[in-house]
Amino acid sequence: MSYHYNETFENPDYHFSETLEIDRRGSSQRNPFSYQTPHDSSQSDYYGERRGREQNYPVAIPMASLGPGSDCSQDLPSTSPYGNFTGNLSFEPEPELTYTPHSTSHMLDYPYTHGISSGSEDSFIRRRNRRPPDDIFMTSSSMLETDPMCREEEDLIGSLASMSTNERIKAIQKMPETMRKKREIRNKVLKEITKKSRHRGAQCTQGTWGVSFGRFGNTLSEYFHQLRPWHKTLKIIGAEFGTSVLSYFVFLKWLLNLNIFSFLINFGFITIPQFLAAEPNNLSFTGLELLTGAGYFQQTVLYYGFYTNATISKVENGPSYNMQLAYIFTVGIYFVICFLILLFSMARFFSRNFVKLTKAFSVNASKLLCTWDFNITNEKAVKLQQKNLLTQIKEGLTEVNKEVLNFSVKERVGRIATHLLAWVVSLATAVASCAGVYFLSINNLELFMKGYSNDLQRQTAMLVLPVIVSLLNTLIPFFFSWLGYLEKFQTPGQHIYVTIIRNIILKISIVGILCYYWLNIVATSESQCWETLVGQDIYRLALVDFIFCLLGSFFGEFLRRIIGTTVCMNLGLPEFDIGRNVLDLIYAQTLTWIGILFSPLLPGIQMIAFLIVLFVKKVSLMRNCQPPRKVWRTAQMTTSFIFLLFCPSFLGVLSVIGVTVWRLKPSEECGPFRGLPSMYAAVDQWIQILESYTVSKWVVWIYHNLISSELFFFIISTVVLIVTYLYLEIIQARKTMTKLLQNQIINAGKDKKFLLQKLRREQRAKRSSSALGGRGQQRSSSSYHPSMQPAQEVPGYSERAFDRSQNTSYHEHPFSVEISSSSDFPPGGEPSPSRAVALALRARAAALGEDSDGSGGFQP
Amino acid sequence: MGNKQTIFTDEQLDAYQDCTFFTRKEILRLHGRYYEMAPNVVPMDYTKDPDVKLPMQLIINMPELKENPFKERIVSSFSEDGEGSLSFNDFVDMFSVLSEMAPRELKAIYAFKIYDFNTDNFICKADLEKTLNKLTKEELTEEEITLVCEKVIEEADMDGDGKLGFADFENMISKAPDFLSTFHIRI
Repeated sequence: MSYHYNETFENPDYHFSETLEIDRRGSSQRNPFSYQTPHDSSQSDYYGERRGREQNYPVAIPMASLGPGSDCSQDLPSTSPYGNFTGNLSFEPEPELTYTPHSTSHMLDYPYTHGISSGSEDSFIRRRNRRPPDDIFMTSSSMLETDPMCREEEDLIGSLASMSTNERIKAIQKMPETMRKKREIRNKVLKEITKKSRHRGAQCTQGTWGVSFGRFGNTLSEYFHQLRPWHKTLKIIGAEFGTSVLSYFVFLKWLLNLNIFSFLINFGFITIPQFLAAEPNNLSFTGLELLTGAGYFQQTVLYYGFYTNATISKVENGPSYNMQLAYIFTVGIYFVICFLILLFSMARFFSRNFVKLTKAFSVNASKLLCTWDFNITNEKAVKLQQKNLLTQIKEGLTEVNKEVLNFSVKERVGRIATHLLAWVVSLATAVASCAGVYFLSINNLELFMKGYSNDLQRQTAMLVLPVIVSLLNTLIPFFFSWLGYLEKFQTPGQHIYVTIIRNIILKISIVGILCYYWLNIVATSESQCWETLVGQDIYRLALVDFIFCLLGSFFGEFLRRIIGTTVCMNLGLPEFDIGRNVLDLIYAQTLTWIGILFSPLLPGIQMIAFLIVLFVKKVSLMRNCQPPRKVWRTAQMTTSFIFLLFCPSFLGVLSVIGVTVWRLKPSEECGPFRGLPSMYAAVDQWIQILESYTVSKWVVWIYHNLISSELFFFIISTVVLIVTYLYLEIIQARKTMTKLLQNQIINAGKDKKFLLQKLRREQRAKRSSSALGGRGQQRSSSSYHPSMQPAQEVPGYSERAFDRSQNTSYHEHPFSVEISSSSDFPPGGEPSPSRAVALALRARAAALGEDSDGSGGFQP
Repeated sequence: MGNKQTIFTDEQLDAYQDCTFFTRKEILRLHGRYYEMAPNVVPMDYTKDPDVKLPMQLIINMPELKENPFKERIVSSFSEDGEGSLSFNDFVDMFSVLSEMAPRELKAIYAFKIYDFNTDNFICKADLEKTLNKLTKEELTEEEITLVCEKVIEEADMDGDGKLGFADFENMISKAPDFLSTFHIRI
């Protein structure tokens, strides 16, 4: 007896909140126990309205049934939690889950023995003691027609049936239910749909069409799934190195897919037609051309210069293929598709991973509950992860006492000066390397124009520039990360981000200066075919970069491991540097994009390179590296990588391509656009031709009024700006709202705590003042209903009832006044344990009232 | 594994497809995995929905789960009878929730169940202690554990009841962007 009593006082909040929850739930479930005719019609009405009310947990639930007459039966379930109701019921179901049906069926089957435990189970967490035998399951479904509780399920089925096929499948997939339940619901929904569609025959066919289309899509995606040779590779990497390293490979795979796609497009629409009109190639092939991309390749489909400007037609007077248009439209449409793909995947990543960046609180909590990487299945990796977490938690514990370091003014000035200095140094390095690259390339071009004494010399000279650029790209990042160590950043996150920003600045400015050189110097030089020259340059850059990437994994990882394991033992195994590797990928992809116009098959080359990189990196990773010690913020990193790929890289490429297409004069002697003032002039000419045909007038109209009209773009951009502004405002409002609601929840919690404390204090005071008198009352109150609850006999029950009977008057309590005035409570010494319950419920309801408003913002 | 028609009927495959995040192929592969754990218990022919369950001991020895510190909790969270044995339905369900496609809300519900060791629908101190022990191989001292658990509850408990309800948990998860990618088992 005293056990439960003590528990109350040792852990009052815990105890009380549970009580209150159960009171609420108990009130909705007491009827099957007290009335033994659950199929009664009055019962069904009762449930109907009960359900409606239960949604917002109003005060009315207890109040309506608190009349003295029903006291005994109604308090049974509410007291039993101390004994039987270990299951806690305050698990708030999500909105979509509220329609999961209550487990009435077994409540009806075992009203006494199972009734409490199963009935008290929230519909939500029902897995524990689900109806075990199948026959119960069967009876329950046969009862569906009569049981009013199944209305809810019917509602659910109805709402599911009215959804579209896709939505319905998604909704069913999302249900946190067992497969059996889901399948049952699905079958019912399907039955419902066929029933409905029998009335409307036309819709039926439409529905099946939709379904069969869906099936067709499924089979298609299955075949695509089979084309995933790297599924297993990714699984192994995830198992050993965790999600952070895996994200690099996912990114690499994504780029690989992108390149396969662009290769297929370019090959299909530009190269294959060119094969039909190809001229014989009479240049010699020595093998060194593979490295330089010059010589023999100059006269192949690899470069812009080889493509014809003619219209290709195999049959006399038959349909013809205009190479100029094909070239410009393929490249243009490819970039539009790329833009959309990048935009959408960026948006998806943002919405997935930056759900709430407003407040990065609960560092410890999320470390404990959210960071375990379920991907990892390798024994060693698991041990390592456990060790890392241990050190992190220990570090966190020591930081609890340290708090934020306060620097003196002098120290702060010193820090800022170091940071400034580091920035100046890194920017100076970037500028210096740009200048170096620029003069080297100009020098190179002059030499190239003059010609070399022999061929070998000429080809070596070609390779100087790409090798220098790749060397800069490989070595300067090490210098930057060394600078970062000197700076002593406060958090490792800052260090990583600053280093990444510096590296990006370096790489982008090198690419930028090269673009300037190509567009301003090479394009105006008197070379025969400047586009091919640029294409060759890019080819060499991409190829040398690829070789350096391989060398990097050899020296950076393989040799480092040898040194780390044999010479310098304390170095240990190297870690896989995700940031640097991803930046290399972004750089390579940027080159490919720039090169597409000048060398349409570059994506194919890059595709092969990425494929090799994927497997080399994988092998090197498995052989040489250990899982990273730091817990990377993987999701955010991936998002920022995609963002980097979009923002400086892709947008920069777009502007380069734009300048080339609109402003530059194509070479006179080669390429599909020879003789035109600019590449875009091909489209203008085409439109002029189209104007003479009446059939295609609409194309001309669209071209003149939409595509080449400034007014249209002005209007479009104004609309976009307005919409963006509106959305920004809405976001601001939502943020404010979230903050308010968050505060509300916290306040509600505080209120609850305060009220519970007060209640407890009152109880204690009352009990100590009138201990003896109460015991008599308690006996009488417990004699009301000994036979009603055989299964709920609880040892602590009578003691509890006694406690409650003492709380007869709380006039100093704000809520008690309301209670006695709003309900027909017998005033004073009536033995009513329900009074305390009512009070508690009041407090609960008050807290919940705010809570339910407040939680709206947090539930999806 | 033979002809797909002998394992499931088309209707069954459609049902599985509609109820999980898997394609037919993946469901058949899952059946293969389920079958190879106990070839003499699990029938090849599932067209009649046989009532076969594999005990927890077999399932937690799968390579995907073997080293997971929460393997018992994962399996029993998905077990229909609550005792840890999984029918094929439960098995598919489990990997469906842990798959890449499952939405955050669904994953959160089951993650909550997994961390709720004593199944009282709250993550209380005792649960956190158990979690911590599993995560760190019980290498922290008693006091450190208490300190960390207190800290966690203090940080994440919004309504002040001294333990983490589902709402608290969900709120926390919404601020941990990595959760979606880490609560994921590739099959």
